[in-house]
Amino acid sequence: MQDALLERLRAVIGPANVLTGVELSPYVVDGRTPEAAVFPGALEEVAAVIALCGAADVPVVPWGGGTAASVGMPAARPGVVLGLRRLARLVEHEPGDLTVTAEAGVTIAELQAALGGRGQWLSLDPADAERATLGGVLAANAAGPRRHLYGTARDLLIGVTVVTADAAVVKGGGKVVKNVAGYDLPKLFIGSYGTLGVIVEANLKLRPVPDDERLVALRFERLKDAAAAVRALLASDLIPNAVELLDPTAAAAIVTGAAGGTPGLGTTLAGVHPAAQAAVTAAATLVVGFDGLPEQVEWQCAELTRLAASHGGRDATPLPRAVWPRLAAGARPAFPVATAVMTFGVLPAQVAELMEQGAGVARARGLQTAWTAHAGVGVVNAALVSDGEPREPGPVAAVLSEWREMARAGGGHATLEWAPLAVKSQVPVWGDPGAAGRIMQRIKAQLDPKGILNPGRFVAGI
Amino acid sequence: MATLTSGRKTVLRRELEAIVGPGGVLSDPDELLVYESDGLTLFRALADFVVFPTSAEHVAEVVRLAAREGLPFVARGAGTGLSGGCLPAEGGLVISMMRLNRVLAVDYENQLAVVEPGLVNLHLSWTVGPKGYYYAPDPSSQQACTLGGNIANNSGGPHTLKYGVTTNHVLGLEVVMPDGEIVWLGGRTRETPGYDLAGVFVGSEGTFGIATKIVVRILKKPQAVKTVLAVFDQVDQASGAVSAIIARGLVPAAVEMIDQLTIQAVEDAFGCGYPRDAAAALLVELDGLRVGMDAQAERIVQACRDAGAREVRTARDEAERALLWKGRKSAFGAYGRVSPAYMVMDGVIPRTKLPYVLRRVNEIVAAHGLRVGNVFHAGDGNLHPNILYDPRAPGAEARVVAAGAEIMKVCAEVGGSISGEHGIGLEKADFMPFIFSAADLAVMQRLKNAFNPTGLCNPGKVFPTKKSCVEVGPVAYKPHVIEEKGLAQRF
Repeated sequence: MQDALLERLRAVIGPANVLTGVELSPYVVDGRTPEAAVFPGALEEVAAVIALCGAADVPVVPWGGGTAASVGMPAARPGVVLGLRRLARLVEHEPGDLTVTAEAGVTIAELQAALGGRGQWLSLDPADAERATLGGVLAANAAGPRRHLYGTARDLLIGVTVVTADAAVVKGGGKVVKNVAGYDLPKLFIGSYGTLGVIVEANLKLRPVPDDERLVALRFERLKDAAAAVRALLASDLIPNAVELLDPTAAAAIVTGAAGGTPGLGTTLAGVHPAAQAAVTAAATLVVGFDGLPEQVEWQCAELTRLAASHGGRDATPLPRAVWPRLAAGARPAFPVATAVMTFGVLPAQVAELMEQGAGVARARGLQTAWTAHAGVGVVNAALVSDGEPREPGPVAAVLSEWREMARAGGGHATLEWAPLAVKSQVPVWGDPGAAGRIMQRIKAQLDPKGILNPGRFVAGI
Repeated sequence: MATLTSGRKTVLRRELEAIVGPGGVLSDPDELLVYESDGLTLFRALADFVVFPTSAEHVAEVVRLAAREGLPFVARGAGTGLSGGCLPAEGGLVISMMRLNRVLAVDYENQLAVVEPGLVNLHLSWTVGPKGYYYAPDPSSQQACTLGGNIANNSGGPHTLKYGVTTNHVLGLEVVMPDGEIVWLGGRTRETPGYDLAGVFVGSEGTFGIATKIVVRILKKPQAVKTVLAVFDQVDQASGAVSAIIARGLVPAAVEMIDQLTIQAVEDAFGCGYPRDAAAALLVELDGLRVGMDAQAERIVQACRDAGAREVRTARDEAERALLWKGRKSAFGAYGRVSPAYMVMDGVIPRTKLPYVLRRVNEIVAAHGLRVGNVFHAGDGNLHPNILYDPRAPGAEARVVAAGAEIMKVCAEVGGSISGEHGIGLEKADFMPFIFSAADLAVMQRLKNAFNPTGLCNPGKVFPTKKSCVEVGPVAYKPHVIEEKGLAQRF
């Protein structure tokens, strides 16, 4: 790292906002330590940092709360972490417009607290809301269980301000909920993992906080019965906001908040809601959420119980609110230290089969798994752990490759959401985008020709 | 661009016929006239050929031919667009998608359908309706417009307030790229790897390529629907009621506003039961569960009453509901009762700015000596001022265009947008700088370069021309040949 660049960075954003040396430990990813971490306090400073790094040909690694920092491959050469935590203002919230403008560094929890005080919310419920920032959630396209009804960032983001690789401040979309003027730049930056620009501000659609909301857990003796119940639910008149399918390992961790496979009943579960205890002893747990007027929630819960019963679903019980946020984290917290985590996009009808066969493939190689699914939209999450002594990445990589092939055979995709570098070097992090990959490479070349922004991290070598 | 010699034209016609068959190519000037404009007749241009492919491979071959010859090409659906978006460059090819109009697959269990781009929007809902499903985006032209056109324009409609616009319902697209390669963007599943190219393609106004297969979500029909009509003596009260409804924690399926001039035209034409002396009416629709529907409707009624509505009533049955919607959806045709012509505007503003902007719209139009009727998606803040004029009056069209530009400026000033659903096309290309900086437009241009590096795919759209619209001035109205022959009239 050139000292000259560090000096310039300190001059532009203040020495206190430029971290080096041992201060960098929170920003180590895959064992790679960045050259520096810088925290600009204004839009212009973000642009200045990118301009300086670009001129010095040093990669820029945009950083929100760091919750998705290890997704993807590490940059081929060490770079500068560009932290957005000082850009965290709620810029504008007009309840009558049902929209909000906020800076990228605000955490989801802070944003929801401010909106909730005025009876509204951003209908996006990603994991780690206390740490995850708005910009990071958009860049990683993170979502939670309520995507079933309310969609993902692409359904909520109406405008975005980014700083591009040439340090230009660029706006796409706008502040209004319906807008077809110009190309849909907000879509381009969602899920782009900081490879096309640094998101600094976002405009989003909001929803009113519902009068009432409930999440109900049901247990099934067989996964395929739970899948049949999901099918019946989706074909019914009910309007669930979440449809989560959990295997016993994941259910145990989620309802108890404790990782580590099936907990000892009576000790770990003491004082836990009875629904939770019931859930962890079943072959599959189905969690369904409803919101709306109290009578609507009440009626739907009753209908759900009736509908599930005809497929063998039992013990319908509301989940305590403290459990709700854990559903967003997927399967990873099921183990104290997961070896790898994979996310799948498949057809909703393929979810249960993937869970069952995927678990079987891992078991055959002596590996434990935990599975969760946003079953109504076909998004499945699996965590994998080596049993006992750490092994060579070989069997882990083999299972992950088989999983990806299972998804691909059904027309779906798999992303290796988390794994040690040794595994990531054997199993590609990203699924194959096919011929579309070439268009993606051309977009990258157009917007970041020198490869300054997160080079090498994303799909197709981007 | 070089004009084709008649000899070259004959050769190319034969080559195109070899691809799509002898009945699939038009090149006689009389036939080409039909394709010289879309729903916005202000702009016209003649193609050299109109081609009717019946498969994605046909489209790819035609596009490769165009690329080889350096001929501009543009895809066209039903031609109901309102911004000149599917007009050919002078010369080149119009590729009509109207023969690619099949529903290829419906997967009820996974709630999706795979369709071809020439399928009429409403026909998809007809297809899946018997099983209790529908396709949510419902542009007013849905009886004629195609899903491919909806993709190009990211079309909306009254019910997008709750359900979102086209892009929120598209999972994937098979696309013929401007170099003729067939590529899938997105697919049937969520979480496809890489950038959201399907999301970027939707709304790109035909400048990124040509969609040949479209995967859309289909939704379960709601259990219950309730429609409320609120009548106001002042436009400001109706505008205020829109935000008041939302402030009560409700997101109706639709909130539409109709002003007095429009009500009178509709009542003259169809008699739909709107009070003729009302300054404005709101048509509010709720849908969802039967349980709680009455309680929600009561909240709407109260919000409207508190905002000053003189009368609020709920449609008693499906017949009354259909009649109220007929009034709303037929408004454009009804203007024919009160004016020989009109021009429909499309702008968006934050909902809370409705009272101010509607006042400004009326002032601007009056200052130009014109009249305006407003019928629009108030819940989204998506305005449709319809400026009425007589095209035979000297200078009338210039005044309409000038008033339209001023209205767009007001939308931009209050933090809004210059198009909510009709697109930029040719019409608003020069208005883009109202809301986008040079840097914003430069990134859009680079995105376009990644898809369409030669620029042959639908050239001249979306981006401002070098000359500003003020220098160019409006295009003078000249009657179309078919108007002169009395075969058609302008609305």
